[in-house]
Amino acid sequence: MHDINKLEKKWYHYKLKKVMFPITEVAVVVFFMGGAYYAYGTQKKIASITPSQPLTRVLGVTKEVNLSEEDIDKVETVTVIKEIEELSLSPIIPIIDMDKEERIEKVSTVVKSTRQHVPLVKAKPNTYLTAKELAVITKVERRNEVLPHVTKKMKFQSQTVNYYEMMTEKFLKTKKPREALLLAKAYYKDGKYKESEKWALKANKLNSSIEESWFMFAKSKAKLGKKREALKILVRYYNKSRSPKAKILIGQIKTGKI
Amino acid sequence: MRSKYEGVKNIFIDAVEKSSYVELETAAYNYSILETSLLKPLKMVLLYGKPGTGKSMLLNKLYHNLKESREIHYFNAPILSEKEFLRSIYESMSGQEIPHNLRVNFDGLLKYCQKLKEKREIVFLLDECQLYSEALMEKIRLLSDTRVIKFVITLHKTDDEDVIAKEHFKTRIWEVIEMQNADEYDLELYIQKKMIQKGFVEISNSIRKKDIKYIYKFTKGNFRETNKYLYTIFDIYEYYEKNEPKKIPKKKFSKKILEMAALRLGYIHA
Repeated sequence: MHDINKLEKKWYHYKLKKVMFPITEVAVVVFFMGGAYYAYGTQKKIASITPSQPLTRVLGVTKEVNLSEEDIDKVETVTVIKEIEELSLSPIIPIIDMDKEERIEKVSTVVKSTRQHVPLVKAKPNTYLTAKELAVITKVERRNEVLPHVTKKMKFQSQTVNYYEMMTEKFLKTKKPREALLLAKAYYKDGKYKESEKWALKANKLNSSIEESWFMFAKSKAKLGKKREALKILVRYYNKSRSPKAKILIGQIKTGKI
Repeated sequence: MRSKYEGVKNIFIDAVEKSSYVELETAAYNYSILETSLLKPLKMVLLYGKPGTGKSMLLNKLYHNLKESREIHYFNAPILSEKEFLRSIYESMSGQEIPHNLRVNFDGLLKYCQKLKEKREIVFLLDECQLYSEALMEKIRLLSDTRVIKFVITLHKTDDEDVIAKEHFKTRIWEVIEMQNADEYDLELYIQKKMIQKGFVEISNSIRKKDIKYIYKFTKGNFRETNKYLYTIFDIYEYYEKNEPKKIPKKKFSKKILEMAALRLGYIHA
């Protein structure tokens, strides 16, 4: 009989567990969802308050966002504006709701104040000259005006030597075709086609299914003047893979673009 | 005064008795196959299924129904010693008791059976045959070959080992009846019939479909397991009736007690 009391206690424990488990589960879900919603809301609010946004957008978003005290007025503007729209549709009744009037006034001040914050976008001045103005410009001036734009080449201090060393080291460690291919590409860019050819071949040997390794190898060959060999390789690859990229490359080599 | 729950509890004590047999549709179907198979010229009939599917109950019912009309003997417990088994067979057939210092010779028993050919047909019901040795099973087969003795045997079907796949079962001609666990509907009938048979109509009516569903969830329609579960349920009921009757709901079947019994039997864990 004593056993039943023990069993009853056990049952209470079981019941508690059974009830508590879904509650905690729901609580956790609600907590995370709430957190995510809050984070999303604040992000949108920040985005909506930026002055570059048009006013209508600001008002539209404030409807959905959890508002701080400062924004309450803006929310009101939305509702009141809606009311105004509705009023215009409804039959005109000559009764003036003073409270509404006050609120509408408040809206207009709020809208004004928000407008003050928004910097007005100035119209770009017309850069074209009129015929009259053109006639005034002297030949010298015109020459100066029409001078072609000269692009200045920026010279960057390249770290390629370090890069080669680093990548070679990496390749020796990992023996991955990716590293070999990257090296091939880097050498190709630098015009070191012999090296490029070598690394592309290495990459290809490790994994012949990498299309890029075939292309790098062929391109390097072509650059080294071995066009026939390059085409032979590409044709072989194209027959195997039917790759449209390979077809394009064949065309480029044939026409001498590479 | 005797508690009413004590009475209900006792009907779920697992016992192979004629009075505790519950007629279910599937059981009735299996019984009819079993009965007609005894009329066929079969040497052996196999009744097999998982433990708790009602094999022994069916065998018991068959024995009680036919004992008046034909020569039938029921070995409800396996006789593992070959010497004892042959002695029991002979004693049942001849109706004579053999002195303990003597033993039955198998060849002699075979000859005795052959003499009775076309004169008598004796049925032996053997329960729990998975416990018999292969040598003894071979002797049973030889005895059945005389066509004087028919054996109805029951076997446990286990998940990992299919007993009937064994050679001495496989090569014989059998009437095979497979017993299966009850489905939810049959289980409900089983519980209700069992209680109504003994006059506990009110309690039977208080058990709802969802309670049956809950019971089925754990017992999977196994009769032995169901008996055990219901015995435990009514054992707890009995305690509350005697000590804290307020805790027993008046009309509904108590979910709390159902869960407590499940906890006690380890079906669920706190």
